[in-house]
Amino acid sequence: MRYYNGLRRQIGWTPRTLTLKLLLVLGRILAITLAKSDISETSSLDGGVYLSDHGYLIVGPRHLGRGSLIHQRVTIGAKAGGGPIKPTIGEQVWIGPDCIIYGQIEIGDGATILPGTVLSMNVPPRAVAAGNPATIIARDFDNAALRQNLRTDVDRAQFASPCIRSGT
Amino acid sequence: MTARNSFSAVLRNQGLQAVLVYRFGRQLLLAKRRPWWWPLLIVGVPGYLVAAAVIRGCYGIHLFLSAQIGAGFSVQHFGGVEVANCRLGEGCTVGQQTQVGSRTAAEGPQVGDGVWIGGHAKVLGPVRIGDGATIAPGARVMKTIPARAFVVGDPGRVVFRGYDNTQIQPKS
Repeated sequence: MRYYNGLRRQIGWTPRTLTLKLLLVLGRILAITLAKSDISETSSLDGGVYLSDHGYLIVGPRHLGRGSLIHQRVTIGAKAGGGPIKPTIGEQVWIGPDCIIYGQIEIGDGATILPGTVLSMNVPPRAVAAGNPATIIARDFDNAALRQNLRTDVDRAQFASPCIRSGT
Repeated sequence: MTARNSFSAVLRNQGLQAVLVYRFGRQLLLAKRRPWWWPLLIVGVPGYLVAAAVIRGCYGIHLFLSAQIGAGFSVQHFGGVEVANCRLGEGCTVGQQTQVGSRTAAEGPQVGDGVWIGGHAKVLGPVRIGDGATIAPGARVMKTIPARAFVVGDPGRVVFRGYDNTQIQPKS
């Protein structure tokens, strides 16, 4: 044990940590190869989210609320050269294909991001954002009809994940 | 950079793997004028074809040999990158889902040195992009862009000039 601790202190790694690191890297390559998607390990995702299986998702939000739905070819991440702060996405948000969401922004609960949007500003709850660069084109829009066929409703998700908060 | 660091960097960075395979393929093209390389092609050409097919199938990074890419090129993320039939200068960076030139067009874009092309951007047609220009994520560029300009939107328009993109370029 003393040898083990000395090894860790001197060279910074042990056989166990090295194996775990190698498994992480190889598992990531396997996930990229099979699922064509990459989710950052620093982001927190609630239970009951739907991520498209058509691939090319590069997703790294600070937080993604439950019941949200992200389509294919979406990029979510920090602004280039703008520090490590990533977007915060609320609950039951619908994000269409080919969207780019970046920077220190917040997307409110129940917002709708239409396909092909390049978003770098805050979106209030239940609003609709579209365009390149994005604008708010409608307010107080209910996106339940967009999400209903994809089984992201909260009743089902409560059984699937322990991460659901209590209440509501 | 030690051997372990460089191995780890290649393993973690899918764009770097694609660029290495592209550089290997471009070296094979030089063998036309060097007959003493021809025995090596028996191993080299099938090796390149298999590696390029794996890169295209697994990561979706299409760096075609018809593109002429300068030193210091980097691909930031994997997925949907297509660089074909064009000329890129030194120190260029492209993001994910980017398309620079197309396989079918007769004449592709001529991109200068140190150009940063963000994710989901498209640069199509026989256009010329000046040195140090910055093309924002999601922009569609179909006309000539001056040097050190900042291009935004669909269709792309120059928002301001004299933008210094050395802050957002990856550090070598």
